[in-house]
Amino acid sequence: MQMAWKEVKKSKMKFLILGSIIFLVSFLTFIISGLANGLSEDNAALIKNVPNGQFYLNEDAKQTYNLSKIDVDQQDKLLADYNGATAMSIQMGFVNDTEDKQHSVAFVTSTDSELFPNVKDNEVVLDASLKDEGIKVGDILTNNQFSGEFKVVGFTEKQTYSHAPVAFISMKNYQEIYRVMEMQTVFIPGSDSPDSIKGLESFNNKEFLNTIPSYGAEQMSLNMIIWFLVVISGMLFAIFFYMMNVQKIGLYGILKAIGVKTISLFSMMWYQMLLITAVSLVLSVGLSQVFSMVAPAGMPFSLPLETSLLLSGVFLVIGFIGATISGFQIKKVEPLQAIQQGEM
Amino acid sequence: MAIFTIDDVEKTFKSGDVSEKILKGVDLALNEGEITALVGPSGSGKSTILTIAAGLQKATGGQVLFEGKDMTQMSQEEIRKIRSSEFGFVFQSSHLVPFLTVEDQLLLMLDVAETKLNKKQQKQEVSKVLDLVGMSHRKDAYPSSLSGGEKQRVAIARAIIHQPKMLFADEPTASLDSKRSKEVMEIIRNLTKTLKITTLMVTHDEEMLPYADRIVMMKDGLIE
Ligand SMILES: Nc1ncnc2c1ncn2[C@@H]1O[C@H](COP(=O)(O)OP(=O)(O)OP(=O)(O)O)[C@@H](O)[C@H]1O
Ligand SMILES: [Mg+2]
Repeated sequence: MQMAWKEVKKSKMKFLILGSIIFLVSFLTFIISGLANGLSEDNAALIKNVPNGQFYLNEDAKQTYNLSKIDVDQQDKLLADYNGATAMSIQMGFVNDTEDKQHSVAFVTSTDSELFPNVKDNEVVLDASLKDEGIKVGDILTNNQFSGEFKVVGFTEKQTYSHAPVAFISMKNYQEIYRVMEMQTVFIPGSDSPDSIKGLESFNNKEFLNTIPSYGAEQMSLNMIIWFLVVISGMLFAIFFYMMNVQKIGLYGILKAIGVKTISLFSMMWYQMLLITAVSLVLSVGLSQVFSMVAPAGMPFSLPLETSLLLSGVFLVIGFIGATISGFQIKKVEPLQAIQQGEM
Repeated sequence: MAIFTIDDVEKTFKSGDVSEKILKGVDLALNEGEITALVGPSGSGKSTILTIAAGLQKATGGQVLFEGKDMTQMSQEEIRKIRSSEFGFVFQSSHLVPFLTVEDQLLLMLDVAETKLNKKQQKQEVSKVLDLVGMSHRKDAYPSSLSGGEKQRVAIARAIIHQPKMLFADEPTASLDSKRSKEVMEIIRNLTKTLKITTLMVTHDEEMLPYADRIVMMKDGLIE
């Protein structure tokens, strides 16, 4: 181990280069992962904030909540049968503020529930992001499908849906705007193994998220970039250690000749890999956390520490595999060849 | 008393369909504490027999007995253990580890040989041996800053610091000028005599022969 450290000390430049590559790639990965997560929050915080459970949609709805209608009698029965069940609907729409400026929102309504604010008729609770657009408590909002007016009675934190702020309204108002009596979905919390209910199809939270148009596609492309970066960094590791090992074939041969165990040579490489990766990851985790604090407010960015740590773990594993694969050359080195290859 | 016996050793190299018998039944017995010089024309197989004896490659026939045990029957791991604790090597190039100081090179060898010395004893041993090869003043130097002769002296120190029973040297002075060569040979002779190390040394240089106790001539894969 001492030998590994002494090499790092002596060949600072080489290891500095490797370290900065790992730092850059992992930092980029963290940033993209923060964006993916931020966009996902932006797109679906409303659903992501709901505890685990099952969303039931009408079987005829072709897995699209927009097309789903739950029969009113069935809804009443479900709400009575299941503790904490909530019937709800979501529709994209607009509100006009006092200056007649239009704001795009996602109207959400639900039966009485602990999950969402309970709103009286002609009142609205908005996502706090609309504060930035100049809306205050007490403002009067209108909607051209709605005969009455909404009075802003409060704001909620981080309630967005399909990249739009959520506007919670009463069921009666909702039914008037969208001219529909039925709710789209019934949410039943906590059931891991969903009860099958006649005429309805169940989705867990994650499955329901994927019924949001654009959510699946958006997350898929971002996740693909993330895994691409992870794989690329794995290959970078392998290539870098491969080149380093090729340079050191002669040295490995001599060390083997004087009786150093192959496993000690591998440990030397692992130690160096872990050292360099750990230092680079600490830096990039730190920097990405700083970035997440100073990121502009409008930028959907969310990078929980757990996510960075999880990704760091993946990097370590990938680096280990990459280095080990490239280390197979060490195993093949014949001490004799090295000796016959003149001065190093 | 022979501590090391090479008995009817053959070596055939195959490349593709062509196979060439380089060693044709070499017999050689090395007496404990003696320096045996192996001489002979280029290509006669001197390096080949030396590396087979040193456990760095396998013979295709015959026996290599070290302290009565046949090395040709041993596993890789057994041979590695013998190489690390009982053998020392010096080659034409010093083959030092580029990123270790002179002192660290020797400490490494003590670790590899699994000597039962604690850190302090190890350091003492290192400075003692560096004194013997006249390199104490360069103990913190890296190989890149040493001259050829200095490197070779460090290589010799590394080869004997763990007090091996055998020293194998393949043209240890070939990269040095006449004056340095003699210095290095003096060192080898003094060390192996004080430490009672049995030495097999290949050399081209007639000036080195006076330092040997015995001279063995090799020709065409056979000892003459
Ligand atoms: N790995 C190998 N594969 C094929 N042939 C080899 C191999 N190693 C050595 N030889 C051949 O064996 C013969 C003897 O080689 P060796 O190195 O033992 O000679 P040498 O006596 O040490 O010569 P020199 O004095 O030039 O060092 C040479 O003809 C060489 O080409
Ligand atoms: Mg030779």
